[in-house]
Amino acid sequence: MSRLFSEGITLTVFELALRSMRQNVKHYYLYFFALIFTTGLYFIFATLQQDPAVQERTGSSAEFSAAFQVAGILLIVIAAIFTVYANRIFLKRRSRELGLYQLIGLSKGWVVRYLIIENIVLGLSALILGIASGALLSRLFLMILLRLIGLDEVVGLSFSIPATIQTALVFLMVIGLTSFQMAATVYRSTLLNLFQADREQDYPSQPRALVAAVCALLGIALIGYGYWLSDRMINQLLFLNMLLVLASTILGTYLLYRVTIGWILYRVRKHKNGHLGLTNSLSLAPLMHRMKDSAGSLTLITVLSAMTITLVASAYSMYYSVERDARWALPYDYLFENNEQAALSFQADLERQGLAFEQGRIDAIRLVGNVYGDLNNAEGTTRRLLLLPAEQLQHIGDEVPIPPYGEVVYYNARAIVEGLEEIGEEIQFAGNEASYRLTDLAVSNLVNYNVSGIQLLASEATIQAISEQAEIDSEIETVRFDTFQMEDWEGLEQSSTIFATYVADDPFWPDFYSEYKTGLQIFGLLIFIAAFLGLAFLISTGSILYFKQMTEAEQERQSFKTLRQLGFDTGMIMRGIIRKQAFVFLIPLVIGILHAIFAVKAASILVISDITVPTVIAMTAYAGIYFIFAILTIGYYRNIVRRAMS
Amino acid sequence: MTETKSRDTVLQTRNLQKSYGTKGNTQQVLKGIDLHVARQEFVGIMGPSGSGKTTLLNVLATIDRATDGSITMEGSDISGLKDKELAAFRRNHLGFIFQDYNLLDTLTVKENILLPVSLNKMSKRAAEKEFHEIAGVLGIEELANKYPHEISGGQKQRTAAGRALIHLPSIIFADEPTGALDSKSASSLLGTMEDINRKRDVTIIMVTHDPVASSYCNRVVFLKDGKVYSELYRGDKTRQAFFKEIMDVQAVLGGDHVDSL
Ligand SMILES: Nc1ncnc2c1ncn2[C@@H]1O[C@H](COP(=O)(O)OP(=O)(O)OP(=O)(O)O)[C@@H](O)[C@H]1O
Ligand SMILES: [Mg+2]
Repeated sequence: MSRLFSEGITLTVFELALRSMRQNVKHYYLYFFALIFTTGLYFIFATLQQDPAVQERTGSSAEFSAAFQVAGILLIVIAAIFTVYANRIFLKRRSRELGLYQLIGLSKGWVVRYLIIENIVLGLSALILGIASGALLSRLFLMILLRLIGLDEVVGLSFSIPATIQTALVFLMVIGLTSFQMAATVYRSTLLNLFQADREQDYPSQPRALVAAVCALLGIALIGYGYWLSDRMINQLLFLNMLLVLASTILGTYLLYRVTIGWILYRVRKHKNGHLGLTNSLSLAPLMHRMKDSAGSLTLITVLSAMTITLVASAYSMYYSVERDARWALPYDYLFENNEQAALSFQADLERQGLAFEQGRIDAIRLVGNVYGDLNNAEGTTRRLLLLPAEQLQHIGDEVPIPPYGEVVYYNARAIVEGLEEIGEEIQFAGNEASYRLTDLAVSNLVNYNVSGIQLLASEATIQAISEQAEIDSEIETVRFDTFQMEDWEGLEQSSTIFATYVADDPFWPDFYSEYKTGLQIFGLLIFIAAFLGLAFLISTGSILYFKQMTEAEQERQSFKTLRQLGFDTGMIMRGIIRKQAFVFLIPLVIGILHAIFAVKAASILVISDITVPTVIAMTAYAGIYFIFAILTIGYYRNIVRRAMS
Repeated sequence: MTETKSRDTVLQTRNLQKSYGTKGNTQQVLKGIDLHVARQEFVGIMGPSGSGKTTLLNVLATIDRATDGSITMEGSDISGLKDKELAAFRRNHLGFIFQDYNLLDTLTVKENILLPVSLNKMSKRAAEKEFHEIAGVLGIEELANKYPHEISGGQKQRTAAGRALIHLPSIIFADEPTGALDSKSASSLLGTMEDINRKRDVTIIMVTHDPVASSYCNRVVFLKDGKVYSELYRGDKTRQAFFKEIMDVQAVLGGDHVDSL
């Protein structure tokens, strides 16, 4: 330290910063690693965004490029929140060191300069390492992306200068932000609180019974309200409802941590009447002492976890159900309406190519009708209806039931998405005296969704009766469908291009394969972005928890030493620590997953298929990576407890 | 150290040695200490700063390992035990009063005192009864639900004493328990320790700089440069007379104040 005064300050500041960094490397290796990780992730993201091959794909679609841009901004926000939070913990951990510098007579300005130099060195090395590792990994990510959106071609990916500049700019901003934070912290704090910062604890007092009980219940009630509303928010006030759900759930979560859990712990502890036992002394007691301090960060972690899980689970669900959703919407690979000639020529084309397929024919009628029994409309609603004969459908392989004479069944694959519960009970077809019973609503399509008219299933006899009874002047259109079903995926791929030539002049006549491919591209990109953001979220939340626990472990070092001296061995102490960690890591995860379940449920109306499987897979993956941080934390504690005696 | 005496011996050391540092740069702190302590004895350890008192206490208390020599406590040879066995031994047989209290900040006075009980085979009711008795003797019963930061140094020291006693240890090790206390709190704590020593059949080994404190003991062992310099027995003498004797030896040994400079 004496050299500090004998030599030029600037040089020494730099030297000291370097030396301190070398010594502190073990303290903030995770911070450093997380910085590198976020830099690398952002660089990969920027590289993909700038890549010509990707731009060519995404440039055509406004949604694609918008999704990329929004994700980019979110990534920056995460990086900023995370580094600022990590920086705060570091400043706290090092407050004694900073106090010491001031105690030996160095000015606040000096300390700030020293911190900023250190921060810049740290930030720049993270930037370089992050870009380097990002450059190595971006090819892998590009391959994953292209696979997800269904393109197999290998694209050469060169080191991207614009991406580097973009990344550097973003991280210079982050370094600037954290440097500002450092200066603000040093100038604001007094020597005394620098020395006491690492002993900072709150002492749980007896909660005021009434206030605590009210707040505790309010927390649970708010979360419950959020859950309840999330199931009913599809109406004109969708946006307002979403905000309400978010606000009440987040506030409820905060109250849950700040009051409810503290209150429960207080009751448990009071019940113990001093006989805490070692395990509780190491879990219950320190948890209670930090509840006030932890409520904010636990809420942040819970909300981030819930957001990540929701994002990843919904995106994965959509990707996962692309094929099924496309099949539900388009039961036939190819469909020609009233165009026998085209169908014949298409058939000939397929045969010429040697593709295996099955062909079918449906004769249906389309007419106008009145639907009665809809509660909202006693007058009845006039709709265009398409009546399809069940026998013919069965004949070409669709396993539909044959409704009894006089009854029709409504088919709509999007019934749930559209919020249809019932459309009516009775139908009167144009020109018919008699009315027919509308017995059921089936969630699937009889023919491809682009065919005009509400799809109704009836027996051939019913259909014949309807057309015979119709008055001469009422418009009944007979419709002939020619259907094609391919045997295999290869055939689908080839035939799709052939089919495109037949519908070139019709902008909206989709076929199964192109619909599937489009879905794959959109949701592939979505899942890629979701996974990307999810990973960044996850690393941030995991690291925040890890840092917090590291700090607490350091603070508790003396307690561990005392306990070891009293004769408790490492195993016994670790049992208490593991219980505390289970609490610290599990509670935000469980509550986050619970939040996510309701959020995913609310979002699931966008998908036709059942999304339980993909949601569970996404949640398991999240929890798995999350627990790595818990294990790291426990390892850190174990080290401290082991070394406590020496 | 005759064979007839060993029946009453709780603690015995032979040629106890302790060195610090690595090869080539070792410092021998304990240079062969032979000591025996009889059951229910209250032994004071005195000596100039740096003479090895804390080191001796830590080695005896199995918190630190000796470099050479043997320690027998409660009939078992401590030197051969593994870390885990040592921990169990401490938990079951020993009590500690540290100079800087070492209470757990997050626990109340009562929880701190009851901490060693948790793994012992004492029932909750027995522990509760024991707590009230000890807290009564120590005069900290009404502090039971306070946290360490809410009580004074003397109260903390008494809490630490309570923690050392709760699990009915056979030996208590105390390192300058009165170091941070004013003379009134000090004599109150020492009086309590003397009381406990007599009524509860515990052996106490206490390191201290304070001749007043050591005048409460049955015997005072003086250390100098890692060796036993001399021993004083109180016998039937009054505390005042014993105090004078201790002062005399200390004068010969060289005052702490001089030595610590
Ligand atoms: N962990 C250690 N490593 C190296 N040397 C040590 C260590 N602990 C103590 N010493 C040295 O051993 C010697 C005796 O120390 P000890 O703490 O036993 O003295 P003491 O008699 O308790 O002194 P005081 O009255 O000042 O507390 C000292 O010279 C000290 O420097
Ligand atoms: Mg000492």
